[in-house]
Amino acid sequence: MRLLRYTLYRLLQAIPVLIGVTLITFVLANLAPGDPVRFMLHGQEVDEELIRTVERRYGLDRPLHERYLVYMGGVLQGDFGHSIHRNRPVLDLMLARIGPTLLLVVSAYAFALATAIPLGILAAKRRNQPEDHVSRIVALVGVSTPSFWIGIMLILLFAVTLGWLPSSGLVYPWWPPETYGHSGYGEHALETVRHLLLPMIALGTLQMATLMRVERTQMINSLQGEYVKLARAYGVPERTILRKHAFRAAQLPIITIVGLNLSTALGGAVLIEYVFNINGMGRLFLEAIQQLDYQLIMGITIVIGTMFVVGVIITDISYAYIDPRVTYGEEE
Amino acid sequence: MAVGESQLETDTGSRTEVDYGWRHTVSTVMGDTTARWGFYIVAFVFLVSAYTMVDSNLARLTFGAFEDFTFAEWLPIFDHPERIPPPGEGESNVPPAFHAEGSMANPLGTDPAGRDYFTRIVYGAQVSVSVGVVSTLIGFVGGTIIGAVSGFYGGKVDDALMRAVETVYAIPPLILIIVFTVFVSGGSPDIIYAVFGVGIAFIPVFARIIRSEVLSVREMDYIEAARASGVKNRDIIRRHVIPNSFAPVLVYATLQIGVTILIVAGLSFLGYGAQPPTPDWGQMLSVSHGYMHSNVWLSIWPGVAILLTIMGFNLFGDGLQDALDPRIDD
Repeated sequence: MRLLRYTLYRLLQAIPVLIGVTLITFVLANLAPGDPVRFMLHGQEVDEELIRTVERRYGLDRPLHERYLVYMGGVLQGDFGHSIHRNRPVLDLMLARIGPTLLLVVSAYAFALATAIPLGILAAKRRNQPEDHVSRIVALVGVSTPSFWIGIMLILLFAVTLGWLPSSGLVYPWWPPETYGHSGYGEHALETVRHLLLPMIALGTLQMATLMRVERTQMINSLQGEYVKLARAYGVPERTILRKHAFRAAQLPIITIVGLNLSTALGGAVLIEYVFNINGMGRLFLEAIQQLDYQLIMGITIVIGTMFVVGVIITDISYAYIDPRVTYGEEE
Repeated sequence: MAVGESQLETDTGSRTEVDYGWRHTVSTVMGDTTARWGFYIVAFVFLVSAYTMVDSNLARLTFGAFEDFTFAEWLPIFDHPERIPPPGEGESNVPPAFHAEGSMANPLGTDPAGRDYFTRIVYGAQVSVSVGVVSTLIGFVGGTIIGAVSGFYGGKVDDALMRAVETVYAIPPLILIIVFTVFVSGGSPDIIYAVFGVGIAFIPVFARIIRSEVLSVREMDYIEAARASGVKNRDIIRRHVIPNSFAPVLVYATLQIGVTILIVAGLSFLGYGAQPPTPDWGQMLSVSHGYMHSNVWLSIWPGVAILLTIMGFNLFGDGLQDALDPRIDD
């Protein structure tokens, strides 16, 4: 019950932020010099009368605040407007592309967490020993390398030189295997993983490096905590201390960082989708920018902003689930 | 903090919690091997970019006396960074010197237009460093003002400003900056728009850090004393609050330069940062992307340059952080 109230409270808090996101996007999109229709035409000469008609058709002849309210009214009903360039509803275009991006970002985080947590713990346990130094170098290189360049290097090594893995596109597990000519679900799953591996590592490395540093510091702090000293004094085995006492308390900041870094990951997805030719939201965004497709750009920015806000709320709520207090009596 | 006192403490090897003397900071940073290397890398990249900056702007700096002249003519290791050799001269896509088909004339080979790649890599430092520093400065100044006002006044002002900050935070920087660059430039992006875009996008991060520092400084006795003696709020913020909240933000700014270079590299790679023929690492990677199968080397060198530069800032920033923060003691 307490948790439900907290969830509702966080959702309510998100409303002003989301309104702000739409406002920023709307203002930015209208900062462009000249009127939108002419802007979209890239300076081509067109009949004045035609421009007026198009403006009336999309309500662009109305004052700015009125247009914002009309737009927001639509967004609340799930109508993100109509892409002038593609002549299709913005919502349909985005729904078709959101799956690959989610698949990419979620698997990048899975990769980052699966590597960062064990390595961070190892580094903390063997502090100032070779394992620790190696993990520090990995973390340093990880935070210093552009994700898209890691992607290019992975393609050059594993796709171009060795020819082990495909260099572009994804296989969507939610499509039936026949679409790709796969013989069964076994091959389908294998191909999904083979296609996902390189972009996942490219996008996940930065997250891995950041999380590993935090995990190491947290574990070191946690291992110096009073409760760990107490557990040691009680004669609790070192492995149990590491697993039950120190580990749990150290994970709380990790959860916060996962939520906050979602912003970097979603931005990074734009670059990774470009490098690996993945038809996700990021590529759609770049296409929309290139075509100066107003409605589409606004729709994507709002959806990505919402994804971030929802991500932070989810991490906040899961934070509330994990009770930081560790009890000693039960573990004896 | 008296300088002599802080030196004395360093000499005896003990260190008190309140020891923030800058001499002490410098000696701690330079005493740490990794931080020292970070400093060397940063200093080297700064020197190189200062040289290229002067060289690229010679004509302007000398009021036209050195039109069409570059230091590169005196230094045999460099070619012209931007001029494309006329047909017949300069072979394109030459591999690096250690390759069987390479030569020392072009240590890192040539690009698809036949320009010396080594020269372009060296001159590329200029864009990365100046963009990194200038846009971090914009974020720093903007964030300091917003964060200081927000933290000092608290209440409704704080609420409103922090909601605004959270809102900008919610849009991934890369996406926000691309939208900003494209719309503000009217559809023809260039590096100058990217600089402002990146700076504005990072104001929230700085504002948050400054604000939390200010919140703790605000409760100090000397602020109360200043208030009691009738100093105006604006002067309290300027003279007491901001200087005392500075150290952690300075560390953050150093690390932020690295992040900024990373983002600008991505922007240029996608075509929304530096434009050809300006030598820029991200933009060079964008060109080399089309030659991934025929000339592998083109994709390697700019990435290595970015990696080393950012690593320098990170090492130095980490060292600075350890020196300024007495809590972390490795």
